Amino acid sequence: MDLNWRSCLLLALLAAPWESQAAQVDPVPSVMWDYYHARLLDGAPFVFDKRVRVQVPPFAEDARQVPIEVDASAYDGEVVRILAWAELNPIAQIFDFRPGEQVRARLAIRIRVEQATPIRAAVLTRDGLWHIGSAQVDAAGGGCTAPSVVRAEAGWEERLGQVLGKRYPLADASRLRLQVAHPMDNGLVGGIPEFFLNQAELRDSAGNSLATLELFAAVSENPTISLEVKGEGTTELWLRDNNGNEFRAAF
Amino acid sequence: MRWILLLLSLVFGPAQAELSYALQPKQIADGVWLLEGSTDNFSPANGGNIVNTAFIVTADGVLVIDSGPSRAYGEAQRAAIATVTDKPVIALWLTHHHPDHVLGNQAYEDVSIAALAGTRQLLAEQGEAMAENMYRLVGDWMRGTEVVLPTATLEAGEVRVGDRVLSLLALSGHTGADLAIFDTRSGVLLAGDLLFYQRALTTPGTPSLDTWLADLDQLQALPWTLLVPGHGPVANNAAPFAQMRDYLGWLNGVLREGAAQGAEMNELIRAPIPERFAGISLTRYELIRSVSHLYPRYERGVMTRVDQ
Repeated sequence: MDLNWRSCLLLALLAAPWESQAAQVDPVPSVMWDYYHARLLDGAPFVFDKRVRVQVPPFAEDARQVPIEVDASAYDGEVVRILAWAELNPIAQIFDFRPGEQVRARLAIRIRVEQATPIRAAVLTRDGLWHIGSAQVDAAGGGCTAPSVVRAEAGWEERLGQVLGKRYPLADASRLRLQVAHPMDNGLVGGIPEFFLNQAELRDSAGNSLATLELFAAVSENPTISLEVKGEGTTELWLRDNNGNEFRAAF
Repeated sequence: MRWILLLLSLVFGPAQAELSYALQPKQIADGVWLLEGSTDNFSPANGGNIVNTAFIVTADGVLVIDSGPSRAYGEAQRAAIATVTDKPVIALWLTHHHPDHVLGNQAYEDVSIAALAGTRQLLAEQGEAMAENMYRLVGDWMRGTEVVLPTATLEAGEVRVGDRVLSLLALSGHTGADLAIFDTRSGVLLAGDLLFYQRALTTPGTPSLDTWLADLDQLQALPWTLLVPGHGPVANNAAPFAQMRDYLGWLNGVLREGAAQGAEMNELIRAPIPERFAGISLTRYELIRSVSHLYPRYERGVMTRVDQ
């Protein structure tokens, strides 16, 4: 392997065409991207886009509660839908969020990860293009198959659906942070079938929908969710689990 | 080609060499010896030797305090003890259940292994998972390492070992069950991981930061002359206590203000770290961990029931 200046030049020339496609180079190379692009986005046009910010810790200290924050507010007003998934998880999908006019294209939530994985957020704008934000989280793993913490607590059934929350005023909006008491059983722990919150809707005081949120079983026990809504009016969050239990909370 | 071979040997050479902990006992007081670890994180380069262990040579034999992160460490520790005394090892005491302090226990299965009752319970619950994670973090150094539970129980109060009277404190700020050992003769305070110095403290099992601060008050009130932290250099002044209080107070403030303002975890783990902590290793890494351990409690503290 005798690398003289000619071969260096040759390599540089060969590398040049890749540079021009830098925007399409996956920032967190993953063997599963093509699969999820086909399965969740129907193979539709996309760009890897740094303006879709996906924030995760560099490593998962607690694989059962890994905080992720998706911020596509750079496209506020243009966003139709935001999908998020953990690419190497046994249950990959995290949420399918459709913020309306009054709700920021931003969501924070905590999830379970089974191993180190890329985290993706795919943001569909009105022009039909998917903008893909990416991040990588390292993990010792085991978060999806760990025994339930909620079920180990006496009396959890009585607390089912209780919502702790607080509304925080921001400069031009309010941040709604909440935690719902729910075991979010994902079916991966022996003998415990799937039992998790799968639908949520934020409504204004007249009952009109402000945003809808579909949740998947990758979301952690006692889901912690944060949304931002414009305006001062009171809002109601409606939640339903896959057993048909409905819960309501007011902010 | 030779260059590639040379590069490969540089990259893989150390891993192929025999893994050995070069433990050098250092006498810090009459009959009291320290095996000082680095203030780095666990890595395949250090085999998990990031911890301070100690031993006290008494008239009846040697009392060992903590057995290190692996079977190989425990064996190397015992060999290192034999280089400075002919007396036999008579007991191993564990300050708490964390893996870097107890996974060398296999080297002491022929003597009494003693710890607080709470330490034994926590090790029984969490030991296997912690050992597994250590294999992931430091690799082959862990070969053959298994969890060995304590065989005897320690309680707060004075204990005579040979010609020494040791004062034991059963505290809880770091893990829920934390033993501190004060040697009344030499004035050495072996504080375990209730005291970190020049290395960011870790919070996975802390009952609360306030509990930890109260434990520090108790420790500092002892008539100590030399402080041995669980991680970091020994000190003959109160600087480690001051640093602990400063850091705990700052961490408490970051979490409390974050909760009051509705911050997300991902914002807090990126919070600026004050310049005065620049000399402490692993502050960012431990802040990420501490936010994960503690922030949910602070969040719940400011939230109210909003369901209808």
